[in-house]
Amino acid sequence: MSKDSSAQPADVLRPRHVGAPIKRTEDPRLLTGSGEYAADRKPDRPLHIAFRRSEQPHARLTRIDTAAAQTAPGVFAVFTAEDIAEDFKPVIPFSRMANYYATPIMPLASGKVRYVGEAIVAVVATSRYLAEDALELIEIEFEPLGTVSRSELAVAQDAPLLHEEAGTNVLIAREFKKGDVEADLKSAAVRVSGRFEMTRKAPLAMEPRSYTAEYDVRRGAITLYTSSNIPGIVRDAISESLGLPGSRLRVVAPDVGGSFGSKGSLYPEELLICIAARKLGRSLKWTADRLEDVSSSSQAFAEIVDAEMGFDENGVAVALQADVLGDVGAYSIYPWTCGLEPVQVVSFLPGPYKIRSYRGAVRGVATCKPPTGPYRGVGRPISTFVAERLMDLGAKALGLDPMEIRRRNLVCAEEFPYRIASGIIWDKTGFVECLDTAGAACGYEQLRVRQAEARSDGRLFGIGIASYAELTGIGSRIAVAPGMPINTGSETAKIFIDSTGAITAAFGVASHGQGLETTLAQIIADDLGANFADIRVIQGDSDAVPMSTGTYASRSAVLGGGAAKHASALLRDKIKRVASHLLEASHDDIEVSGGKAIVIGTDRAVTFRQVAKAVYSDMKTLPVDAREELSASYTYDPINGTTAAATHIAAVEVDPATCFVKIQKYVVAEDCGQIINPMIVDGQVHGGVAQGIGAALFEELVYDEDGQLLSASLVDYVIPSAPEVPDMDVVHIESESAVAGGFRGMGEGGTIGAPAAIANAIADALSPFDIDVNLLPMTPERIFRLIEQAKLKAKEKSE
Amino acid sequence: MKPARFEYVAPATLDAAVEALAAANGEGKVLAGGQSLLPLLNFRMARPTVLVDLNGIKDLSFIELRGDSVAIGALTRHREIEHSPLIASRLPVMSAAMRHVAHLAIRNRGTIGGSLSHADPAAELPMMAMLYGASLTVQGPGGRRTLMAKDFFVDALTNCLEPEDIVVEIEFPILQHDGWAFEEVARRFGDFALASIAISIRRDKSGIEDARVAVMGVADTPLRLENVEKQLCEIEVDSRMLDRFSELVTSSVTPNSDLHASAEYRKHLLGELAKRAMRTALAAKG
Ligand SMILES: Cc1cc2nc3c(=O)[nH]c(=O)nc-3n(C[C@H](O)[C@H](O)[C@H](O)COP(=O)(O)OP(=O)(O)OC[C@H]3O[C@@H](n4cnc5c(N)ncnc54)[C@H](O)[C@@H]3O)c2cc1C
Repeated sequence: MSKDSSAQPADVLRPRHVGAPIKRTEDPRLLTGSGEYAADRKPDRPLHIAFRRSEQPHARLTRIDTAAAQTAPGVFAVFTAEDIAEDFKPVIPFSRMANYYATPIMPLASGKVRYVGEAIVAVVATSRYLAEDALELIEIEFEPLGTVSRSELAVAQDAPLLHEEAGTNVLIAREFKKGDVEADLKSAAVRVSGRFEMTRKAPLAMEPRSYTAEYDVRRGAITLYTSSNIPGIVRDAISESLGLPGSRLRVVAPDVGGSFGSKGSLYPEELLICIAARKLGRSLKWTADRLEDVSSSSQAFAEIVDAEMGFDENGVAVALQADVLGDVGAYSIYPWTCGLEPVQVVSFLPGPYKIRSYRGAVRGVATCKPPTGPYRGVGRPISTFVAERLMDLGAKALGLDPMEIRRRNLVCAEEFPYRIASGIIWDKTGFVECLDTAGAACGYEQLRVRQAEARSDGRLFGIGIASYAELTGIGSRIAVAPGMPINTGSETAKIFIDSTGAITAAFGVASHGQGLETTLAQIIADDLGANFADIRVIQGDSDAVPMSTGTYASRSAVLGGGAAKHASALLRDKIKRVASHLLEASHDDIEVSGGKAIVIGTDRAVTFRQVAKAVYSDMKTLPVDAREELSASYTYDPINGTTAAATHIAAVEVDPATCFVKIQKYVVAEDCGQIINPMIVDGQVHGGVAQGIGAALFEELVYDEDGQLLSASLVDYVIPSAPEVPDMDVVHIESESAVAGGFRGMGEGGTIGAPAAIANAIADALSPFDIDVNLLPMTPERIFRLIEQAKLKAKEKSE
Repeated sequence: MKPARFEYVAPATLDAAVEALAAANGEGKVLAGGQSLLPLLNFRMARPTVLVDLNGIKDLSFIELRGDSVAIGALTRHREIEHSPLIASRLPVMSAAMRHVAHLAIRNRGTIGGSLSHADPAAELPMMAMLYGASLTVQGPGGRRTLMAKDFFVDALTNCLEPEDIVVEIEFPILQHDGWAFEEVARRFGDFALASIAISIRRDKSGIEDARVAVMGVADTPLRLENVEKQLCEIEVDSRMLDRFSELVTSSVTPNSDLHASAEYRKHLLGELAKRAMRTALAAKG
C-alpha cells in the first residue's frame, strides 16, 4: 500500500467534511430551475439548426435537392455533406487493437446512410419552427442497399456490407484465453450453459443532447456549450478536425442533466454546429428532441452471449468460456471505438471469481442502428448477468445454496491482489464481506423461509443474488477502451486563493449529476483546511485546465479527488509558509483548519483573507521572495486504478395472473472504499438500481426487420417510474484502498448488479416451472410466454 | 418536433367556437386539455390550419344530477370527475376508473370531451361511456343533436363527428345496480391499459338480474359485451361461475398484438381480470 491513504495525525483533529452527509451545493439552483444547461445559453441573435434525418436504414444518397428549403422563410443556410466537405477532417476513432476497423465520424451522412435517424442535411434558420418547416421541402432520393437488422444477419455470408472498405461487417474481433478450457470443461463434475441476451437499451438522460456554439467575431473563436461529460475530449477532437487551436476553441459542459454514457462520445452534431458557426460567423443552437435523442444518441447492450461454466464436485468453478456477439450499430464512436461495450463483456466475464481457465471471444458487428457506446456499467451489466446466471445454474445442478456457491468461488481477503483469468487485477476489496453483509441485511435465512411458505401457497416467490467487481479510477497503465491512444489515466486540479481570500478549484472532470461540485469541495475543505462554503468548484471547462478527458468510467472521485488532495496539500504548505512569517512561528507549529492558519495550542491565528492580503495586496508585510502566489496545481495518476465491488440481493414475486414482477425486497452491500458523502453514494446506488430495474424488466429499443425503431417515444420505450422502484437498503463496506484518499469509484455499480440479481430472482421464482431466464428485459409478455411453454411441455411429458 | 404553422382562436362562447370551426373549412381542430392533441401537432401527425381553444368557454365545465342521469360538460377535467362526490355515489365504476387515467398532471388538464373525441382504444372514459350507455350532445353549424356512445366510437382514434362538430356534454344514465368492479392492468401506474374490464350487476335471489360488461385495450374501440350481459343473467352463481364468466368474456374478443402485448397475452389478462372483477362485484352483496 502506498503512503497516499495513510491518515496524517492532524487529520484526526480537524473537523471532517469527507464522510459527512453534506447536502449537495448544486441542488438549490437545479431544483429551483436556476441551473444553466447548454440550451439556456443566450448568445447574441442565435440561429437554430434542425436536421433532416434518414428514414432509410441503408441506402445510397443518389440526389439531395435543397433548393426549395434554401428559399423558405427564415432560412439562413442549408448544408449537406458536400457543402462542408472542405471545412473539416473526419475524426477517426483509432485503436491499436488488431482486427478492428475504425469507421470515420462525419458531421453529416456522405454517400450513403446506415441507420434510420442519421443526419443528412442541416437547416439553419431564425427559429427551430421555421427550420423544421424547411426540412419538409428537402427532397432526397435513396437507393436502398439492403437492411442489416440483426447481428446474426450481419455475419451471414451474403449480408450487405455497411462499410465496403472494411470488407466485412465484423468491425472488431478479439479473443482472451487462459489455461486449457476444453480439458477443464471435460473433466468438470458439472457443466452449465446457456445463450444469454440483453437487448438494446437507451441511456435516456432527462436532458436530451444539446449544443450552443457561441461565435466570437472579434477573435474568430468558438465557445461550444455542450451537454457532454467529456468536454476536454470534444475540445481536442474538434480542434484537430477544424484546425482551431485551443486558444480559439473553448468547450464547456455547463449544468448537464444526466448522461449515463449517452453524452460520453463526440457526436456528428457537435462537429456540425462548430463547422456551421465558423462558416456563417454566427452563434448557433441545437437541442435534440426526444425522438432524436432516442434514435441518434449512443445506445447500450445489444449482445448475445453463448456461455458455459464447469464446476468440480465441490462447487468450485474451474472453467468458463463465452462467445459474445455484439450488435454495435452502424459506426464506431469517438474516442472509445465500437469495441468498448462488447470487449468489456469478455474482459469482465470471470468477475470476482477464481476461475482457473477461460476463453472469451467477441465479435462486434455493424448493423443498421445507431452506434452503441458507453452506458453506465459498460459491458459489466451483461457480463454479470451471464456469470451470475451460470453460478445459479451451477448451484442448482450441484444442490448448493446460491449464497454458498458464491462463497466458494469469490476471491477472499488473503488472496488479493488477484489476477482473474481474463487478466484484470483486483486490488484488495471486500468481495466476501459484501456477500455476507448483503445476506445479513436482507435476512437471507428468513427470506428462504418466506419463500418456502409462499411456494406451499402456490405463489411464485424468488430470491436472486448478484456479486460483481469492477475497475474504477483507472490510471495510465490501462486504457479505458482497448488500444485507445488517449490518456485517460490522469486528471488535474488547480486550486488558488485570490486576493479576497476566496478559493477557486478548477477541474477538467465534468459532473453531470454525480454531485462533484460538492464532493470535491469536501475533499479540499479537509485537505486544505478551508471553510467548505468558501470553495468554488469549476469543472467541465476546457479553459480551466490544460487537458482533461472528463467524467466517465467511475473515475472522477478517484482521479479528480486524488488531484484535489495533492493540490490541496501543496497549497496548504504555501499558506503555512506565509503564516509562519505573519505569526512568527515555525512552519511545523502551524496547523491550517477552518480557513485559518493557527499556531498549534494557542489562539494566535491568521485567516486566509489576511494571508492573501499579505501576499498580494500589501507591499510591506512579507519579504518579496515570500510572496508566493497562493496557487497549486497537481495532475494525479493512480497508475492502476482501484477495484469496487458489491453484492445485490433481490426478492421478487411473480403474479401468475398478470405475469408482472413485483420486487419485494432489495438490498445492496457495496464497497466503494472511503465514502466522501454517504448521501450522494446512496443516491448513486438508488439511481443505478432504478436503471438496472429498467434493464431487467422494462426497457427495450425495438427495431423491426426494416431497421425502423418501433419504440421511439416514451409511450413505447418504457422506463421504470417511482412506483416501480422499491425501497432499498444500501449497506457500505469501506475497505481500504491504496489510491489517494482511499476512494473507489461507485457511480456505475447499481446498473451492474441489478439486472443479474433480478434475473436470478425471477428464475428462482419460476423454478417450479423449470424456466430459465436468459433474456432481459423480462417483460410480462415474455414471462407469459415462458410459463405457457413450460405448461405445454409439462403437459406433453405427462401424456 | 415543432408543430406546423396554425392560426389560434380563443372564442368565449360555444356558438363562436362552432362558427370559427366552420370557417376553417374542415381544416380546424378543437383544443381542450391538449394532452393528446399537442403531441400529435408536435409530431406533425395533425396539421390543422386553425386551432379553436375551448378553454375560455366556462359553461362547458360542470357535473350535475339530471333526473336518472349525471350530465358532464365536455370541458370538465379528469381531476374534477375523479374527486366528484356525485360521481362517486351515482357512477361508482367511473369514479374507480378515473384513478387509472394517466398521471396527476395530465388529469389536471385532460377533459372528458377530449378523451371521448380522441377515442383511444385503451382509454377509460370512452369505456365508461360504453358501459353506462352514455349519450353525447354535439353542436355543429346545423345546431345540436344527440349521439349514442355505441355509435360514436368508430375505430381506433376515430369518432363519428364531422370536422365542425363540438361535443358539448355527455349524459350518463345511473345504473340501479348493487355490485360493480373495475379492473385494469397497465405496464406502469398511469399508462394506457393493456387490458381492462368493468362490470356492474344487480342480483336477485337466484342469480344476476341485470348486468353491464365493458372491456377495453382488447379491440380497436372499447366494447360493451351485450351478449355476455345476457348470458350472465342466465347462468348460476356457483363455484364454476367465475371461470365461465371469464370464458364468456375472452371468447367474445379478438385482441390485436402490438409492441407491449401479444393478442394471446391480452386475452389471458382479460380472462384473469374478468375473474377478479366478478369476484369483487359478487362480494358487494349477498
Ligand atoms: C403520458 C400520457 C398518458 C396518458 N394516459 C392515459 C390513460 O391512461 N388513460 C386515458 O384515458 N387517457 C390517457 N391519456 C390521455 C389524456 O387522458 C388526454 O387528456 C385525453 O385523451 C384527451 O383530452 P384533452 O382534453 O387533453 O384533449 P385534447 O388533447 O385537447 O384533444 C384531443 C382530441 O379531441 C378533440 N376534442 C377535444 N375536445 C373536443 C370537444 N369538446 N369536441 C370535439 N372534439 C374535441 C381535439 O380536437 C383532439 O382531436 C394520457 C395522456 C398522456 C400525455
